[in-house]
Amino acid sequence: MTAPAVEVTGLVKEFEKGRRTVWQRLRGEPDRRERFEAVAGIDLVVHPGEIFGILGPNGAGKTTTMRMLATLLLPTRGQARVLGIDVVEQPREVRARMGAMLSGERSLYWKLTARENLEYFAALYHVPPRETRARIEGALAGVMLADRADDYVERYSTGMRQRLALARALLPDPPLVILDEPTVGLDPQSARDLRDRVRELRRQGRTVLMTTHYMEEADQLCDRIAIIDHGRIVALDTPAALKRTIRAEQVVRLEIGLADHLEVSRVALLERLGALAEIARANSANGTLALTARCRSARDFVPAAFDAARATGGTVRHVEVVPVSLEDVFIDLTGRALRE
Amino acid sequence: MSLLAADARAFGAAARNQWRVARRYPAQWLSFFFWPILLPGVYVVMGSAMAAGDPRATDAFASRAGTGDVAGFVFVGWSMYMWLSNVLWGPAMAVRMDQLRGTLDAVFLTPSSRLVVLIGPSTYALVPAWINFVVMAVALRVIFGVELAPDALARAALVMAAGIPAMYGIGALVATVVLRVGEIGGVVQLVRGVFTLACGVAFPIVMLPDWARVVAHALPPTYVVADARAVLLAGADLAAIVPDLAMLGLLSAFVCMLAVWAFALVERGARRSGMLSRY
Ligand SMILES: Nc1ncnc2c1ncn2[C@@H]1O[C@H](COP(=O)(O)OP(=O)(O)O)[C@@H](O)[C@H]1O
Ligand SMILES: [Mg+2]
Repeated sequence: MTAPAVEVTGLVKEFEKGRRTVWQRLRGEPDRRERFEAVAGIDLVVHPGEIFGILGPNGAGKTTTMRMLATLLLPTRGQARVLGIDVVEQPREVRARMGAMLSGERSLYWKLTARENLEYFAALYHVPPRETRARIEGALAGVMLADRADDYVERYSTGMRQRLALARALLPDPPLVILDEPTVGLDPQSARDLRDRVRELRRQGRTVLMTTHYMEEADQLCDRIAIIDHGRIVALDTPAALKRTIRAEQVVRLEIGLADHLEVSRVALLERLGALAEIARANSANGTLALTARCRSARDFVPAAFDAARATGGTVRHVEVVPVSLEDVFIDLTGRALRE
Repeated sequence: MSLLAADARAFGAAARNQWRVARRYPAQWLSFFFWPILLPGVYVVMGSAMAAGDPRATDAFASRAGTGDVAGFVFVGWSMYMWLSNVLWGPAMAVRMDQLRGTLDAVFLTPSSRLVVLIGPSTYALVPAWINFVVMAVALRVIFGVELAPDALARAALVMAAGIPAMYGIGALVATVVLRVGEIGGVVQLVRGVFTLACGVAFPIVMLPDWARVVAHALPPTYVVADARAVLLAGADLAAIVPDLAMLGLLSAFVCMLAVWAFALVERGARRSGMLSRY
């Protein structure tokens, strides 16, 4: 058994909130800034050859975790090993073996061509001169940019820049690639392209550790997922196993226009629906009740829900039946939706 | 390939990369030819206006400056100043640009030595610096009829080359401060101001108060400026400036060690606070 691609134990990163003025510094006043844990004790093991996803909402601590693994940020406590190498003790060795794509398109020289960008970074990655050419061609072909290699990056689309950033991460021919929200800001087609490239990395035998706040992406792409919230892992398993924790077959999203006596009809309606299925979430605004119900069979529940709405003076405006998703798992674990 | 050889190659690639980026801003090249003539030209014209052709004024200047050639004194001084400030700005500018663009993170993700990242890109700054030097010599000859002997120019070039390590050391220190405060303007203005005042660029340092002269002799640029004038205008040979060059070497070693230490300290702090890549 080879060493895990990534092994993290008790990883913590504390940041200071607020600021300390120059005046306070000069007078040597004690640092009274409040500290908070952006990453609050994470344990995880990424196995060689898998695509491992860290899924969580904005501010959950995904980027902070990735930056610690990439040696750009020092952990406050805990340990992280990449391919068996400690990120704090031997950062240079870690950097030499890892491909990382953290800030995407901004991290490129827009005034240079794709090839010029890669030539510079190949040298910084210590790629031997004799291999440089082949390595660059390979990386460009791998992200389907070979025909645009001599165009200035400023003329690229966002999706192309993102792919070029991925090509750069592949220059050291790394066994491990880490990607921080690689598809954020991309149009659906470009995002699909990029996910295909990530699957290709797995086919080549590389390990991928990536973050995302898109649950569909995590579901489709990742072999295993850690769901993270407020710097803590709240669940870790395969997408299928995570979804099995929701004891329902189907999820029904309903929008019901309420009768005039808002509060009364809302309570009555929720009571009736609650008897038919498990209500995971309910929000009412502007006389409309939006709710998510989990049930065995939508075929039985939906007609019953129509009856219940009519009986309390409401009208069903929208019905949507969807399979259980990671979104439901997240709601179940945190009481909030991922996008909130 | 050994680690050192790989870093050396990365260093070259960093210089070439900066050159490639600079190529995309061709208008700035105008300034490399424009300022080295205009800036010192103003001082020379003012000087001759004040002397009003009176030989006593020229003698008084010669007794303080070591040469009666006002145009030569000012032009060589400014050419050295431009050279020094180019080298001085270089590392800080390169680091700050990388920060602003967002490329600093990507560069720091590679296994190359931090010194490659710090110094490599700014070696490109030597190109405009040498252009300044040549423009200065041509302008002196064409406009003021001051001829600089080829062997004197070669000796001046040697003096400039000897100043490189110290200037890059100071440049790296400035870059370190920039990395720490996340802002470049104030820091560079301050350092530049001190050097303009203290290092005898625009006026002879005998004009400074005693305490300021002590400071001036602790600053490497003072030696570069003085020795460049000595070889170009007073016909000094190499032997005459060897003590100064030795002093320069000593200061260089000190400044470089200080820079490496300070940079390591600041980089560690930035990795702790997460402020490495701030804009
Ligand atoms: N350098 C920093 N200094 C202070 N707080 C930070 C810093 N970087 C991130 N944070 C805070 O840490 C938390 C987690 O941020 P981040 O890891 O970027 O979340 P995510 O990538 O999951 O959206 C956020 O509350 C963020 O404001
Ligand atoms: Mg993030």
